[in-house]
Amino acid sequence: MNALELSDVRKVYTMGDGSEVVALDHATLTIGSDEMVALVGPSGSGKTTLCSIAGGILRATEGRVVVAGEDISGYSEKDLTRFRQRMVGFVFQSVNLVPFLTARENLLVVDELGQRRGKAAQQRADELLDELGLADRAKNLPSQLSGGQRQRVAIGRALMNDPKLVLFDEPTSALDTKLGEQVMDLIRTEMKNRGTAAIVVTHDERILHYCDRSVHITDGVLAA
Amino acid sequence: MFLALKEMARSKVRFGLLVAAIALLVFLILFQQSLQNGLITGFIGAIRNQSSPVLVYSVDGQRVIQGSILTPDLEAAARGVEGVGEVGRIGQGTFTALPTAERLGGASETFDTTVIGYDLGDDGRGLGSPAALSAGRYPTADNEAVASSSDQASGFDVGDTIRILPGDEVITIVGLADDAQLNVTPTLFASYATYEAAVASANPDAKGVLPNVLAMAPAEGTSPEQLVANVNAASPDLDALTRADAEANTPGVSQVRQSFQLIFLLYGLVVPCVTGLFFLIVTFQKANTLTLLRAVGAPSSRLVGSLLTQVALILGSGIALGALLYYPVSQQRLGGIQLRFETSAAIFWAVLLLVLGVGSALLAARRVLAIDPIEATTGAGVGR
Amino acid sequence: MKLALREMRRRPSRFVTATVILSLIAALLMLLGGLLDGLIQSSTGALRAQQAQAVVYSSTSQASLVRSRIDPDVRQAVEQIPGVTAVGGLGSAQLGARVPGNGPRDLADVALFGYELPPEGVPDPPAAGQAYADEILKADGVTEGMTIQLGPARTPVEIVGFVRDTTYNGQGSLWASAATWRSVLAANRPDAQLAEGVFQALIVQGDADIAGRIDEATGGATESLTVTEAVNAIPGVREQQSTFNQIIGVTIVIALVVIALFFALLTVERSGMYGVLKALGARSGTLFSGVVVQAVVVTAIASVLAAVLMVVLDAIIPPGSIPLQITPVRIVLSAVLLLLAAIAGCLFSLRRVLRVDPASAIGTTV
Repeated sequence: MNALELSDVRKVYTMGDGSEVVALDHATLTIGSDEMVALVGPSGSGKTTLCSIAGGILRATEGRVVVAGEDISGYSEKDLTRFRQRMVGFVFQSVNLVPFLTARENLLVVDELGQRRGKAAQQRADELLDELGLADRAKNLPSQLSGGQRQRVAIGRALMNDPKLVLFDEPTSALDTKLGEQVMDLIRTEMKNRGTAAIVVTHDERILHYCDRSVHITDGVLAA
Repeated sequence: MFLALKEMARSKVRFGLLVAAIALLVFLILFQQSLQNGLITGFIGAIRNQSSPVLVYSVDGQRVIQGSILTPDLEAAARGVEGVGEVGRIGQGTFTALPTAERLGGASETFDTTVIGYDLGDDGRGLGSPAALSAGRYPTADNEAVASSSDQASGFDVGDTIRILPGDEVITIVGLADDAQLNVTPTLFASYATYEAAVASANPDAKGVLPNVLAMAPAEGTSPEQLVANVNAASPDLDALTRADAEANTPGVSQVRQSFQLIFLLYGLVVPCVTGLFFLIVTFQKANTLTLLRAVGAPSSRLVGSLLTQVALILGSGIALGALLYYPVSQQRLGGIQLRFETSAAIFWAVLLLVLGVGSALLAARRVLAIDPIEATTGAGVGR
Repeated sequence: MKLALREMRRRPSRFVTATVILSLIAALLMLLGGLLDGLIQSSTGALRAQQAQAVVYSSTSQASLVRSRIDPDVRQAVEQIPGVTAVGGLGSAQLGARVPGNGPRDLADVALFGYELPPEGVPDPPAAGQAYADEILKADGVTEGMTIQLGPARTPVEIVGFVRDTTYNGQGSLWASAATWRSVLAANRPDAQLAEGVFQALIVQGDADIAGRIDEATGGATESLTVTEAVNAIPGVREQQSTFNQIIGVTIVIALVVIALFFALLTVERSGMYGVLKALGARSGTLFSGVVVQAVVVTAIASVLAAVLMVVLDAIIPPGSIPLQITPVRIVLSAVLLLLAAIAGCLFSLRRVLRVDPASAIGTTV
């Protein structure tokens, strides 16, 4: 089963003055169940839009979106919320950890807001922290962690719900080359170990080789 | 100024809520100011605005006119004191009265009414009479009276008649005086004989009516305070007071004042606290914008000036709105108490709250001044 | 909910000021309520204590005890009404009392009642020259067994016991036999004395509805009220209640506005975080209930602080300076009203929480 199947997806925004902006035009993309795909393009190319639609954060204007066999094209806001809880993980560009929660608590936020598996979730959180080399940082607040460590906490959070698809938005933009490579290494290891599909949105050419393949997008149109 | 106004226009809800909170607080403070003044005037206006500089009670009265009784011995002792100029008897009682003015057309209800009887003198202006009239004339015969003007409309206007129940004692209103109520009831100033007749009419068992209080004016060369001291020295059962002291020491007055003081203190504190909190939070939220402005060269003074302008505008509109809400309410009667628009209180509170409010915003101003423009590049902002 | 609580625990400073403000408002609510309760209680104790189905005044007295008089023939008429089981006379006199040990000008304000049917908590009328005293007179130095002197005639009265909550018009009351009261009145207030058999009011016990039937039976000479109506008819009671309650009402609205304002500001500030949480799968309902939880906690703490402040105030205020009465009922009522206002105030933030778009999480900072 493919992790993602986008068929002829369009996203059109209507501006305040009545004009229309086509952010994504007839996008068709298939990602295998354990593929790691880089989505490359300049700013404003629509890669964020595509990512958002694939992750169920944004609804497409037209087209079909199927994630891990589930057709989310017609989902309501509520359905999408529940869908995201179960199936998708996000690592945002600006990391976006909750500033007043410790690393461990940031991982557990997903559980608290969604499925509430209690002890099982706590165990999983501890396992992930261990894997990510953050076991001794579990009780630290984000302000007490380095940039790279925060990035890893975000990755842990994305993996908490055992998603079918993880979306990485510019994971290396704030990091120097060495650190960026470390993070991409970690991402690839985690994704491959779990057999989880991933989309890595980036305009950083240096990290493309960590992904299985690259897909280019310009002005809302995917390159053939 | 430009920045200040633009920001407020963009976030109408938050600034609107703040103005609403301040307006309600100002309204409550001013309303209660009217309530306090109205209550106190309603209680002792008659004492404050009558013509006698010294009032002599019996100690048993505990500074309540109706509770005070002067036996003939006590009266003689008081009259015989050195420095006494003019003396007059005062009798006061509360009666049930029925206004019988024709214009009411027989559709009026009975009122608790205070009758204050005093020695009229030649022209009705004897000691104990109201110090000034707002309409009509002083009583010159029995069964004529000056009434408290706030009760004009209820049947106590010049020319109206009042019947004391039970019985058929009828009193005609010949004049009106402002702020002349006692115990928050319609008050009639009449001759002492009228008062005596009213007492007898209401209670046929009454044996002899004694004066409650003596009104005294000091003789030439003696001050009211000196006269008070002389009278008190004459007998431990006499309790002489100057008019101002009689007013302030009437039971209940200081209670009202103290209760309200506490209330005003608390309400007054809330205003600067809410204002200060609001602008502190808003300043934190604007951190990035402020840092950016500093980085592009806006001087701190301009940013602080903009902040203080907002504070002044918000406070100003809140106060104005509160005063506007207060105005119609201040014209009402509240169970016998006539309220009025307390201009001096309004001005006092407006100034006080403005000063306190701006003062509270200084915390936010300090934060603005502490911004380092370099943080625009590092992205730290007015961090936490 | 855990998230909301953790935020408060980890970042208390931003909530502290709001709590302080709400404590002030809660204190105001309790103070206003306490003043009202104190005023009402001290004015109405003597009447509230009456165990009766009707209180009978003369029709021209405007339900004022001191201006009312009931003649023996009217009393007889009342006694003969079917359904009436007992009729007792009630009379009052307001005097200054000289208490041994106090200065010559330092009199205690006293309301002397002559009664036949005992009010609640008061024993049967004592012997001549004796009286029960309300315990607030203890603050004036009155003790059991002591003889105090009433009025300018210094009529001696021996205090043979204490009773509770029977004050009238803010004064401590003395409860004596009708005969004692009558003779004190004659000696001290000749202009107000009443003949033998005449009382100011009647206390009537019997069927529940007799208050309505008495005036008819006496041919309109009387005005009969139930005890509750008589209490409300005491001058000032109704006006005080309505005025104070209106002020309290507006203060609740102020609390609502303050909470709405504070949480509206906080919500704007947290929109970024809300976006991220929604992207992770948080529902608007969960996030909004977090806001409500915080409002409830802040309000609860404010209520507790205010209650403590009020209790301290009650203790340090000298008796007689402010008619304050702090009761648990009033404290709880104020806290509940404040809580309701807090929850209502949160509703101002609901729309914004609902409108946060999870898509905004991509590309923003928390």
